[in-house]
Amino acid sequence: MRGILIARWKQLLRNPWTFLCFTGLSIGFALILGLTGAGNTIRVPIAIVDEEVHEAPIISQLKQETTLQFYEMKEQDLLQFIEDGKAEVGVLLSKDSYKLVVGVESTTVTIAENIVRQTYVNYFQQQSIIDRAHMSAEEEKSLLQELEENLNEPIFTIQASNFRTDEAVIYNPTYQFLFGFSLFFVIYTIGHSTTAMLTEKKQGIWDRIILSPVSKWKMYVGNLIYSFFEGYLQVVIIFSFFFVVFDIDYNGMLWKALLLLIPYVFAMVALTILLISVIKNIQQFNVLITIVAVSMAMIGGAYWPIEIVESKILLTLAKFNPVAYAMEALKGVVNYGYSWDQLYYPISILLLMGVVMISIGIHLMERRHI
Amino acid sequence: MLELVNISKRFKQKYAVKSMNMLIERGEIVGLLGPNGAGKSTAISIMSSLVEPTEGDVYFKGQSILKKPESLRKVAGIVPQEIALYTDLTAEENLQFFGRIYHLKGAKLKERMDDVLETIGLTDRRKEVVKKFSGGMKRRLNIGVALLHEPELLIMDEPTVGIDAQSRNYILETVRRLNEEKNVTILYTSHYMEEVEYLCDRIYIMDQGNLIAAGTKEEIKRILSGEKTIVIKADRITESFINEFKTHPLINGMNVEEKQVSIMVAKEVNMFADIIKLADKASLELNSVNVKTPTLEDVFLHLTGRALRD
Repeated sequence: MRGILIARWKQLLRNPWTFLCFTGLSIGFALILGLTGAGNTIRVPIAIVDEEVHEAPIISQLKQETTLQFYEMKEQDLLQFIEDGKAEVGVLLSKDSYKLVVGVESTTVTIAENIVRQTYVNYFQQQSIIDRAHMSAEEEKSLLQELEENLNEPIFTIQASNFRTDEAVIYNPTYQFLFGFSLFFVIYTIGHSTTAMLTEKKQGIWDRIILSPVSKWKMYVGNLIYSFFEGYLQVVIIFSFFFVVFDIDYNGMLWKALLLLIPYVFAMVALTILLISVIKNIQQFNVLITIVAVSMAMIGGAYWPIEIVESKILLTLAKFNPVAYAMEALKGVVNYGYSWDQLYYPISILLLMGVVMISIGIHLMERRHI
Repeated sequence: MLELVNISKRFKQKYAVKSMNMLIERGEIVGLLGPNGAGKSTAISIMSSLVEPTEGDVYFKGQSILKKPESLRKVAGIVPQEIALYTDLTAEENLQFFGRIYHLKGAKLKERMDDVLETIGLTDRRKEVVKKFSGGMKRRLNIGVALLHEPELLIMDEPTVGIDAQSRNYILETVRRLNEEKNVTILYTSHYMEEVEYLCDRIYIMDQGNLIAAGTKEEIKRILSGEKTIVIKADRITESFINEFKTHPLINGMNVEEKQVSIMVAKEVNMFADIIKLADKASLELNSVNVKTPTLEDVFLHLTGRALRD
């Protein structure tokens, strides 16, 4: 088994281009879509219809939002913008109220309304406290500061986090695309690695090994461990690259995120074995892996947040999709600070999927003499 | 040493090997001869414990390898027809990998690698990546891998396919030396008659899954001891000329090549007058007419009705 691992490692060192290519693609896509802003946060135009709104800190607070990006324009332009379909929703702001101009009924409308409403509610609450206190301007400032501090460190904390409810959605485009593209491209790296087993079988290398004192299960285990290692190495490199170069701190959860990738990479190794077991040659595998990887990434929420998917069929399909569980676990731990108790479910599903797929795959390979 | 008893292998309804019996004694070189598709590779896969026969059994030193293949696998070296090597690795790295599989390590592995590289003549190319090797060098390394664990029995499946004459000669010499100097028992399959004739003590001839002849070279040639081969060379060979021979009552077999016709007749028959007459009738210019004793190729032709490389 050690011999197999050494040989495969040497092969990678001698011909690392596929590995580097998929690693680079993951980093590239995550950079372009996640960090530089292209295609990340949804932009929502706002227009001021009552100049008194400037007296309240509403505009500045909306501009600080990260979930959606609010930006100002003239009312007339905003209405035209929505009419042209350039934005899903716009907000008209006055001092005491707001109006939503809806172009397309979508999750963005709900999220935008939640944010704007919450901003106004916060503002009115503060105003109400100040009005009742009858203080001077200086005292007002200090009271508000005290209020803010107390709100940040309350005596009781109530945390409601349910990953699948709209209320608790935290959308961070950097993590969305970093996780999504890492999980997506690693499927190809693992696929390329496991097909080496197919090539070796076709070339007669496996027959040669079978005729040696090495048992067949050691050959499978050796190859699968290596494919796991290559896939895992790729995601570790990508995650570490963003951590070191771009100060992406994963909210202090890098190690936990890296551990969560273990069951996912295992499940992907198992999946590629299953795919190999039903095809006849590498060309068929290349077609199949592309169809499977892209479909899984789309349904599993690697390209866009699964929270915005409303189709029951797609959400049902996602329950059979390892990418969906890996995204849930990764976003859960980084965005929501999931505890291990909350992570056991996606981890268990990934491991179960892996065991089932690997068993069926190897059984079929042996039966079909692949 | 190795015995096949009534072996058959059926794939769906088609027999690749049918009721085959074979015996290989220690220290001999046995040839398994047959055209492409004769069933040689299937027979080799069965006797090397890679494929289970549909019927029959294979015994190595009296023990069934169907039940216990380990005893054979430890001491047998297999040279497959395909180049079963990691082409991205160097010759040395390939030997290291396959050596480890046979539990060789440290100084012993190094010693065996040096010895094998010397035997196959690749010592000075040991650090080169296999994909840069010529076809002949790859074939030599393919053999070298099977020699690492000093096998008692070497099973070689067409080890000279697709290589130049020089590499082919080198391989044939290597095989002969292994047998003479290290007493390695060798089963050598080929569809090159001259290789088998040069190397082997005994020969088995296969065609369409059946063993059609077996024995020493002399015994096999004796099948045609009452015959002679006449090789006729002309400026061209026409259809009418061939047809005249085909219908000739005294001709027992015929093989046609580009400008040459070989016919087999009984030793006492004198065909010269007929040959000249038929050539004249077909307006051919004869270049030569040679009479020779039958070769293994002629025996094969006689037994199967076709040439070995058809």
